[in-house]
Amino acid sequence: MVSTSAEAVYGLFNLFLTLGTIVGIVVGTYLLYNLFRYRTREDKPVEGEVSLGELPPRQGFPAKLMISLFLSSVVVLSLIIGTFSTLEYLESPPRDAFEIRVTAFQWGWEFAYPNGLVVLGEGRIPANRPVKFIVTSRDVFHKFGILELGIGIDAIPGKINYYWTEVRVPNIYEIRCFELCGTGHGVMLGKLVVMEPSEFDRWYGSQGGGAK
Amino acid sequence: MTTNHKDVGILYLVTAIYFLIVGGMLALLFRFQLTDPTLNFLNAQKFNQAVTMHGLIMVLFVISPLGFALANYVVPLQIGARDLAFPRLNALSYWLYLFGGILSIISFFQDSTIDAGWTLYAPLTTSQFSPYVGVNTGGLGLALLIASVTASTFNFVVTIFRSRAQGLTINKLPMFTFSILLTVLMMLYAFPSLLAGVVILVSDRLLGTVYFTSPEGGALLWDHIFWFFGHPEVYIVLFPGIGAIAEVIQASTKRHIYGRTAVMIAMVIVAVLSFLVWGHHMFNTGISQDVRRVFTITTIAISIPFDAIILSFIYSLVKARIQISTPFLFALGSIMVFIVGGITGVFLGSNALDYILRGTYFVVAHFHYTMVGGGLLGLLAGIYYWYPKMTGRRFDERLGRAHFVVSMIGYNLLYFPLFIAWETPRRVPIYQTDLLFWHQLATMGGLIFGLSFLIMFWNLLWSLRNGPPAGNNPWGAFTLEWATESPPPPHNFPGIPTFADGKLSFISTNGAAHHHHETHLSPYPFAVSLGSFLALAGLTVHPLLLPVGLVILAISVVGWGRERFVSHEDSIGERWPFEKVDRVKLGWWTFIASEIALFGILISSYLYVRSASSSWPAPGTMLDVWHGAVNTFVLLTSSLTVVLALASARADKRGLTTGFLGGTIALGLLFLFNKYNEWSELLHHGVTFGSSLPASTFFLTTGVHGAHVTAGLLALAYLVSRSIKGFYGKENWEAIEYFGYYWHFVDIVWVFLFPLFYLI
Repeated sequence: MVSTSAEAVYGLFNLFLTLGTIVGIVVGTYLLYNLFRYRTREDKPVEGEVSLGELPPRQGFPAKLMISLFLSSVVVLSLIIGTFSTLEYLESPPRDAFEIRVTAFQWGWEFAYPNGLVVLGEGRIPANRPVKFIVTSRDVFHKFGILELGIGIDAIPGKINYYWTEVRVPNIYEIRCFELCGTGHGVMLGKLVVMEPSEFDRWYGSQGGGAK
Repeated sequence: MTTNHKDVGILYLVTAIYFLIVGGMLALLFRFQLTDPTLNFLNAQKFNQAVTMHGLIMVLFVISPLGFALANYVVPLQIGARDLAFPRLNALSYWLYLFGGILSIISFFQDSTIDAGWTLYAPLTTSQFSPYVGVNTGGLGLALLIASVTASTFNFVVTIFRSRAQGLTINKLPMFTFSILLTVLMMLYAFPSLLAGVVILVSDRLLGTVYFTSPEGGALLWDHIFWFFGHPEVYIVLFPGIGAIAEVIQASTKRHIYGRTAVMIAMVIVAVLSFLVWGHHMFNTGISQDVRRVFTITTIAISIPFDAIILSFIYSLVKARIQISTPFLFALGSIMVFIVGGITGVFLGSNALDYILRGTYFVVAHFHYTMVGGGLLGLLAGIYYWYPKMTGRRFDERLGRAHFVVSMIGYNLLYFPLFIAWETPRRVPIYQTDLLFWHQLATMGGLIFGLSFLIMFWNLLWSLRNGPPAGNNPWGAFTLEWATESPPPPHNFPGIPTFADGKLSFISTNGAAHHHHETHLSPYPFAVSLGSFLALAGLTVHPLLLPVGLVILAISVVGWGRERFVSHEDSIGERWPFEKVDRVKLGWWTFIASEIALFGILISSYLYVRSASSSWPAPGTMLDVWHGAVNTFVLLTSSLTVVLALASARADKRGLTTGFLGGTIALGLLFLFNKYNEWSELLHHGVTFGSSLPASTFFLTTGVHGAHVTAGLLALAYLVSRSIKGFYGKENWEAIEYFGYYWHFVDIVWVFLFPLFYLI
């Protein structure tokens, strides 16, 4: 996986997908099996049928249902546990993470660095080093998202949100907005350039002083 | 114009299908744009408008009203009632719905309608970012719809509690009626939240208050208000379909569904939990992790009662004699796709997965699998199922099955590719080109799905004349609606239905003619709706409409009050737990319950922005405590005079009654006069609606309260005008009692507002 956050989120996604697919196939097959097994054109009533105007009688304890519900509770519980442990990881950025402020606006992205450097549209971060995004918005609700890296967090005016990751593969990743924010929403694109650490340090060192 | 529940049901059905076509066309427009991102068929703004109105129309003007079309027609029949508890109110609901829809559609023809998504996220919807007048018009259309829904809510609550046949206890209610009961109970608490949100939004836009434009309130306040409504709304949309599916399965297997009681309990759990899961729509917003953990648990846990419902439906097929028919196929198809929708919903309940899934087509695909799959397809099963009852004719079974096959192909071709192309951001006309194929496939599916409805329309219209007669009970079903003619006569049953000895029988009314004297016609519901529509259109379309609308409204409200409208409650029936509460009183109680919810949300919004603000004026600095204290005294005294007026009427002292009612008016006017002075002083000192959050919250909250006082005074003026003529005495005092509930409620609200705004 290209980043720590992608590894965590997509790992969990695959757990959900596997369990979900199994449950779906079992239930769907069982439904179709019963449908074909018991469909009929027969007009002769069988035992236990209800006639017009009959009120529901007391039914027996639905044991079969309760067993099924117990099974689905086990599935659900494991999904909740998986979610909580992933969440714990996703929301505990290392203390030494490199901090970068991302401000969304109609319609673009602004990146501000600890040394005062401010860049529009194209953020640069080092690979193989934890990076913490500090995200907010200048006007309306946006969502900062890079699906490939497993990154997504709302950018809200008046609120500061965090997300962190460590990217392993230097590359250029596309940033998109995932919350409808007006007519420019579809073209609210940005770039996250992930550089080799040494290359990044060189670039960062050369930029910082001038911007201050 | 008709007030009969069956006619109103048909009106709802036809209107909802009309809006279905409108919403579907909008979908086809933007699906066409999505076949090729380089196509400039819809520009970004038109695209956003189409997406937004598609959502609003489908959720609020199509699926829910389709459910209520069936509920209108079927619920009174299923419980053995002759009509809904308040037939005119029911007609009013319908007309308000129609006019609300018309007003929303009118907004298209102004400069721009709402284009911020059906979730109406602030601050994008505030006038700073959406300065179009069409947005106001659309918002006012929503307000009419909310009024319609609110009236329906009381009506169905009272009807289901008060008009059941003897022996039909709550736990024995037919599944469809039971699902409608839970639906309206959810509506009772969910819609006031939407109303509060729309009121605040319109006030921000028109009066300049700053709830959503200031960062302390802003986006998150809207999120909380909207989703407190929005998530229950999902189940509000879904439950009527689930109820219809249960009925269809029962009729097709000739048995009660498996685990009936368990299913009912599961539905109650869903209804309660539905108010405790809204936070999962806000997982990425940075609300505290503990809160998000709770919402993760509640959201994922809500899948368990749904498991119970769906599995019980499936277990109902085991060892049954299943007779396959069009409604049964739709019910089954609905369950199949709903399973996909339900499982993918669990993904979205996971806070961690939401970081990537929220705002993508995964969400779009998921909720179409639930709302269209579980909701709409379930209701289509219901429409086919009850069509013979409504028309007395059978539809063409082969065409019905053809519709099923074509629609399932179209449906899955439309929505399944959206799961595959899930990485597309929602609501964008431009997306990654490697997903092109899946979007084109989806558009083709959409076209097939849309066209499949033509088979249905043709079938249902053609069979109106040419279908073979249906007889009373074509499906061999066992609920009460099948025990009368198809279509049923105006008073529904040949006598009073009863289950007193465990089995249906009819108590002969021996030609007691009063049934036939019941009124089924009234022009006022239409006139009141027309007046409200014109008045609201006056605010944003043309100012001349405002006075015209208000005049029509005033005349028709008085006409409504004076009209002789006969609608009896049967002398016998099952009414637990409200045996001692007559239906008008129960109606008032329900109304006040929804008002409590409305003020609850307004007060919560105030507390929310106040706690989010770093500073707030100390008591006595912005507001003069004396104004508030005097008004508290005045209003509490007026509660006393209403009590005395009621006591005088019951003691048959007619002059005194008029005196105390008049005294209440005087006190109410004093309250408003004092309020007027207070407001003008504030405005004079530069404290305006928009000057700060403390000012905005004060003006809006006490303003809505003042509007309630004003409405109360108008009702009082009517009571006094009748009291002067000696109308109220020991035989006739209920109107004063009912008014008293409202007035005391308004006073109690003030008892909360006074300390909250003036003292702390």
